Amino acid sequence: MSVTLVSVLFVAAGLIALGAFTAAWKHELTGALAGLPVMFAGAGVAFVGVARFAVSSGPPLLGQEVAVLLAIAALAAVGLGIGLAGREGSR
Amino acid sequence: MDSLHAIGFYVSAALAGAGGLFLAFSDSRQRRGVALALVGLGVAGIDLALSAGFAALVVLICYAGCALLVMRPDYRFLEQAAGGLWRQAGAVGAALLLAALAYAAFRGNFAHATFHGGLFGSVSVGRLLFAHDALATEAVGGLVLVALVGAAAAWRRERPRDERGEGRR
Repeated sequence: MSVTLVSVLFVAAGLIALGAFTAAWKHELTGALAGLPVMFAGAGVAFVGVARFAVSSGPPLLGQEVAVLLAIAALAAVGLGIGLAGREGSR
Repeated sequence: MDSLHAIGFYVSAALAGAGGLFLAFSDSRQRRGVALALVGLGVAGIDLALSAGFAALVVLICYAGCALLVMRPDYRFLEQAAGGLWRQAGAVGAALLLAALAYAAFRGNFAHATFHGGLFGSVSVGRLLFAHDALATEAVGGLVLVALVGAAAAWRRERPRDERGEGRR
């Protein structure tokens, strides 16, 4: 059993497609918003896989750096979306 | 990569996929939060299996935060204006996206390299973040700041419960 770049990219593709499906399929906007971190997670996995297995012209750990930034951006996007949805009153 | 890492990768990938599926088909907020936490746990496991321990730690913290935000009971229910046809078109588009990405992954021709980094890599990633790509890091920091300020400003206004179109799910 081994892990190759192709298997990593397959997992990344699955996560991106699942996130896109969630964002498109959900009735509720905040539920659809939850698909965004899944898409970002797929992109992050692809970047980490390329940093681990492939040769790139940039620094060798550039993919890990992008994955870190994507995770932070996902958290910020969810926070902004929930904030824009607004707080529900107690009345 | 040894067998232990490979098993960890595939188990984590299955966990992330199951979490993503659970997220797509769950309706309650608590279940969505749990599903998002599962996705985060799986992705952190994948990163750890790929010798990206620092990225795994950041992913774990950020996705736990996302899950806690999604689980909140007091944000408003907002119905999408798009009809069923557009939603079905979006779902078909997601399937086409999966096919295209899987084809690209299968046909991709990358030059393979030997990995010389450590298991955690925090020093190297830190050097990249704060020296090599400091501008990108500052841009993401600015983005997070704007997002949090916007979220806080929007959150301060309390909307009455009657504005909803349907009951809370």
